[in-house]
Amino acid sequence: MSYLFLHLKREFGFLLRQKYLVVLLLCTFAVSAFAVISGLSEVSQQRETIERLKSADLTERLNVQTQQTDAGMLAYYTFHLTYSAPSNLAFAALGERDIYPWKHRVNLLALEGQIYESDAQNPELAQAGKIDFAFVLSALAPLIVILLFHDLFANERTSGRYDLLVTTSSSYFALWGARILVRFILLLVCLMLPFYGGAYVAGSSIYDVLLITTMCVAYLVFWAALCIWMGKQASSAPRVASALIGIWVLVAFIIPILGDLAINKIVHSPKGGEIVLTQREAVNDAWDLPKQITMDAFVASNPQWKDHVDMQSEFEWKWYYAFQQVGDEKAAELSHAYRDAARKKYQLAGMVSWFSPALLLQRSLTRKAKTDAIAAFRYEHQIRGFHKCLREFYYPWLFIKGEPTKAALNNMPSFSKTILNEKDEPEVIGVQLK
Amino acid sequence: MSINNVSKVVLIAKDEWRYWLRSKLAVTVLAIGLILTLSSVVVTAITMLELSHTRHELQTTSDKSFVDQPDRHPHRMVHYGHYAFRTPAPLSTLDPGIDAYTGNSIFLEGHRQNSAMFADSRQGTALTKLGSLTPAFIVQTLAPLLLILIGYSGISRERESQTLSYLLSQGTSGVTLIAGKGLALLSVVGLILTPLTVSALFTLGTDESLLAVVSFVVGYALYLTVWVLLILLASSVFSKNSGSFTALAFVWILLCIVMPRVASTTAAIVVPSAGKIETDFAVKADLRKLGDGHNTNDPAFEQFKQSLLKKYNVNSIDELPVNFRGLVASESEAKQTEVLNQFAQQRMQAELKQTQVSRYFGWVSPMVAIRSLSMIVVGTSIETHHRFLRETEQLRFDFVQGLNKVHIEELDYQDDMNRNADAAATKKARVSADNWKILQNFTFHSDSALVRAHRSTSAFLQLLLWIAVLAGGIKFVGKRLL
Repeated sequence: MSYLFLHLKREFGFLLRQKYLVVLLLCTFAVSAFAVISGLSEVSQQRETIERLKSADLTERLNVQTQQTDAGMLAYYTFHLTYSAPSNLAFAALGERDIYPWKHRVNLLALEGQIYESDAQNPELAQAGKIDFAFVLSALAPLIVILLFHDLFANERTSGRYDLLVTTSSSYFALWGARILVRFILLLVCLMLPFYGGAYVAGSSIYDVLLITTMCVAYLVFWAALCIWMGKQASSAPRVASALIGIWVLVAFIIPILGDLAINKIVHSPKGGEIVLTQREAVNDAWDLPKQITMDAFVASNPQWKDHVDMQSEFEWKWYYAFQQVGDEKAAELSHAYRDAARKKYQLAGMVSWFSPALLLQRSLTRKAKTDAIAAFRYEHQIRGFHKCLREFYYPWLFIKGEPTKAALNNMPSFSKTILNEKDEPEVIGVQLK
Repeated sequence: MSINNVSKVVLIAKDEWRYWLRSKLAVTVLAIGLILTLSSVVVTAITMLELSHTRHELQTTSDKSFVDQPDRHPHRMVHYGHYAFRTPAPLSTLDPGIDAYTGNSIFLEGHRQNSAMFADSRQGTALTKLGSLTPAFIVQTLAPLLLILIGYSGISRERESQTLSYLLSQGTSGVTLIAGKGLALLSVVGLILTPLTVSALFTLGTDESLLAVVSFVVGYALYLTVWVLLILLASSVFSKNSGSFTALAFVWILLCIVMPRVASTTAAIVVPSAGKIETDFAVKADLRKLGDGHNTNDPAFEQFKQSLLKKYNVNSIDELPVNFRGLVASESEAKQTEVLNQFAQQRMQAELKQTQVSRYFGWVSPMVAIRSLSMIVVGTSIETHHRFLRETEQLRFDFVQGLNKVHIEELDYQDDMNRNADAAATKKARVSADNWKILQNFTFHSDSALVRAHRSTSAFLQLLLWIAVLAGGIKFVGKRLL
């Protein structure tokens, strides 16, 4: 043990005397810390926003309820907040939350006309991308590893010490192993320490932290091994580094880009514009169609209301909401195809990522943190489910009972309750959302 | 510099090229660089032209379907609404900028300002988070790396093989030597920029102005010059090839990979912006004070009613020669729009402020500077999107008020009030489809080249400052070259 310790201590001393290595490690620590701290601040901003929205939403709803009593008017003016709160790991992988919306308000009108509105953040910042721990680890860390490990052997060769060192050292480990280990451990500490701090603050589960640690170590070992293997025979350090950076460019940029091009060629998606146009035409045509046609289409998919669709005047709310739903149903096929295309693309991208460790790690992290496209699809799925709940709540009042009672209004479905109930149904979880 | 010196510089540059062509690494790097640039130019051009074509088509369809609507109650058309599509700027074939990150179509209807829908990035593979095959990305991020790979040893190599002191003692000054190596690297820059320039010149055929094309190409030339100077400096300062390489690789990681993201993250933290949903609550509270334009009995319109009766000198709204419901709709639309615009303006200001903070990082990273410069000059920056929002808002307001005017003048008030009595009454409360022609055809153009060039001034200054500082540094080092 003391043998090992002795060698490590010696190499640690060597490392401290090489200024550029110290600078490199300090920079790594600084960038990692910045990523974690900004991630924590972003997540807490998102949480606060959701809290503010919740209370504003409630005030607004009560406000509408004091002004309107008619079921149709209530349904028209009442918007309902939906949101997707960041997970306890989101600080480490902010993921796609700057592209996909995580907050949305809907009312009882046709959902296809509302759901594509996005309350996105500043697109110019989204285009640059945010720095988060997942990025530091998957994209940046390999470069740091390359800078740390590429010149292990070449450096000694060019300084003419190589042969001397190899012949005089007591064992292979004593010479190279200790040096590699010291560099690796220090790098790991600089990268992971901020993450552990962040995980403690955010209250992430120990299991997740351990899992991510394992992934990180495996990923870094891969890159370090690659560097050492490539550096072993070479005499020119820059040559080794060039090749390694080339591999990194291939893995981080070229393979994903080619994959993206291929996937976009393979998967055809209907244009988003077509969905809303279809929905709008359906909804607007309904005004000019005989009421019976709309009501027949409505009853076909909602037979429980078939005894309540007769109309007394040229305008009734039940007809209005019926044609909204019929509009949704007409656009349903396109809308499904649109969502399926997005899902298919994401799935295929998963296959591409097996060829790019950087992507694989990024995807695994965002999956764990529930900040990836799948989480966004799931949120959209929840919104759709919630909208269905709203219909189930309003329709009895619209079709049969008239003005909703105060007690009924107090028991109006809310998104928080809906997702709480959803957790009991395991089949909704996972990739295969339909 | 005398003629003699100039020819020496050219000679050194030629010799550097000879060295590159002999070395496998340099040739590979050059070939990869050119292939990447060329393919990015071609692929992006095809993608953006397709997008432009699709959006033009959708716009035409949308214009047509509005005009083709049958006879209707005019207010129905207010809610039928209209779609506007943001066609990309001609130069976006070189830098699509934020195009994929913000919705490209917007639904325009009465009483509401909707946000843009269908950002392409939401329908993507998420594979291109780190970089995409666009000329902008290739030249901004990868080209500097390629320059480093072939140029890092320019001077340190001479030093390591002990030819430097030999060269210097033979009368070649340090500055001349560096200039020669620099010229060789600049010729590589020229090679990289050629496909870009050719593609940019093509846009002249599609209404892009020469000023924009020139600023674009000059911007990128300045940016890559910064890197050439950085490489020359590192190569002169470090005594060993490996030192020069490590330092340059480190600087590249910092400036090209880390800084742009630090900039955007910092901006989002320093200037937090409330989302649309959140500001919508405040908008709604303000709008509620204005009254519901569908309801003529809303007390908010009492004063308006009195002023009308006075103006037309009649006793009741039934006697008005025009349709009172239409008047109320028009009046309330105007007032609402005022409030909506005020909030929209605030939101845009906040976004601009955020963007500004991230652009300040151009002083510390030339990559951030060229990124903003490129998007601004091309017309794919946040300002262009704001212009799109403002123009579509004008379009929305014009057609809604046009319809309200039809409502006021063409539709009888009594018919209008009885519209829900029975099917015949509903039919009577309609106006001719000819009125739908009030819709103006919409084509989106980005700001004029002059405005864009003006906006990009500070990014140009950032790059020029970098060049000045680095050139000064090289001169200092060049005189003391050993």
